[in-house]
Amino acid sequence: MEKKRLTEDELIETKNRSSIFTKLYVSVLFIVIICEFIGIKKIAVGPGQIVLLPMLYAVIIGMVITPDLLGKPVKALKALISDEVMDLAGTLVMFALLPLGVKYGTLVGPNIVKVVQAGPAFLLQELGNLGTVFIGLPLALALGLRREAVGATVSICREPTLGVIGERYGINSPEGTGVLGTYMMGTVFGTIFFGLLASFAASTGIHPLALAMASGMGSGSMMTAASSSLAETVPAMKDTILAYAATSNMLTGVTGLYSVVFIALPLSNYLYKKLAPKFDKKGGHVDAN
Amino acid sequence: MLTRTINQSKIMLVIGMMILIGQRIGQIIVDKPVTPIGQAIPGILAVLFVCIISLKIKEMLPNLKFPAFAWATLIALILSMPFMPTAKLFLQYTNNVNFLATTTPILAFAGISVGNKIDQLKKISWKLVIISIAVFIGTYFGSALVAQTILKMQGII
Repeated sequence: MEKKRLTEDELIETKNRSSIFTKLYVSVLFIVIICEFIGIKKIAVGPGQIVLLPMLYAVIIGMVITPDLLGKPVKALKALISDEVMDLAGTLVMFALLPLGVKYGTLVGPNIVKVVQAGPAFLLQELGNLGTVFIGLPLALALGLRREAVGATVSICREPTLGVIGERYGINSPEGTGVLGTYMMGTVFGTIFFGLLASFAASTGIHPLALAMASGMGSGSMMTAASSSLAETVPAMKDTILAYAATSNMLTGVTGLYSVVFIALPLSNYLYKKLAPKFDKKGGHVDAN
Repeated sequence: MLTRTINQSKIMLVIGMMILIGQRIGQIIVDKPVTPIGQAIPGILAVLFVCIISLKIKEMLPNLKFPAFAWATLIALILSMPFMPTAKLFLQYTNNVNFLATTTPILAFAGISVGNKIDQLKKISWKLVIISIAVFIGTYFGSALVAQTILKMQGII
């Protein structure tokens, strides 16, 4: 069953693989056209509004047409989106992100003076990412998880964290199960979740610029979903919001790994030692199911 | 090295084309003036050029764990700072590429790429689903509250 994993160079090689490329490009272009035709939709909900952007439909349509979902009843889709097509899609995400990276740069550049002035806030808000431990760990323990809790809540669990936990505990350990759980959830639902959360967060009274900084979590696509829907909600501050988010995301890219190794993981283990016995006394099940 | 660069360039050109098609449809839908092809094409080429450069820089500095995406942002940032001689021309070109139009293809690729992970996802217990939502909310509002406090202290907001 073990599939041979292709290297990135082999994946992007077009020779003998042109049918895979064609299938993927046709599918993506088809999705892009549909999504842009639907356009931006704004829905008022209570005090706030939810902004639905074309990218949100894109991720949903993309998921739905794969073999596990619509591909099951519709045989033609199964033939279109093969395993090879999905593997290639995963690699091409990285390429597709680059033009967006350039656009973010052109938003930060002209605002560089404003961004530097807000420097202290940019650096310190990175510590706010520890909110995952403070909120997530007690909840995970209360739900009956044990060491899985440490992995699942140490950070938002993007690739660098996956690497750290995998190296330290092994990816098959309880900690590894936890980190994989949050990672998978983020990969599949992260953009949808943050796209909706951020447009609504504007009505909480937290300043849009603070929310913009919070959007930089170390994932290009999640940051994009969060900051673009926030920017659509507060159009007057659009450029500054996008510039702040991109800067914060770049900083997380630099500091994220170190903050997990030196701050979040030790803190998480410390809290675990303090809190776990209390939950054990209540006599919960010690399993992750 | 050369084959790799050619393959990368081909991919970037196709993605660039998708961005322009998406942008045009998006502009027609909301009745915005459409960017003329004669301006959109040099715009996207300027963007794609920076993309290729950032891929090459990443390959040249493999020990520095800085993703190509971050290089792309950093290069474009430097080229567009107000005191840079390149700023005016670079911004004039890249402004022809719509921000949101660059996001739709990414998420279309991303959606398709997670297709084979849905079965794995079903194995994750409901507890981890709830916890991951708490983690998402925790990182977002954790950062937002710290940022809010500091920005207030600095008098920026």
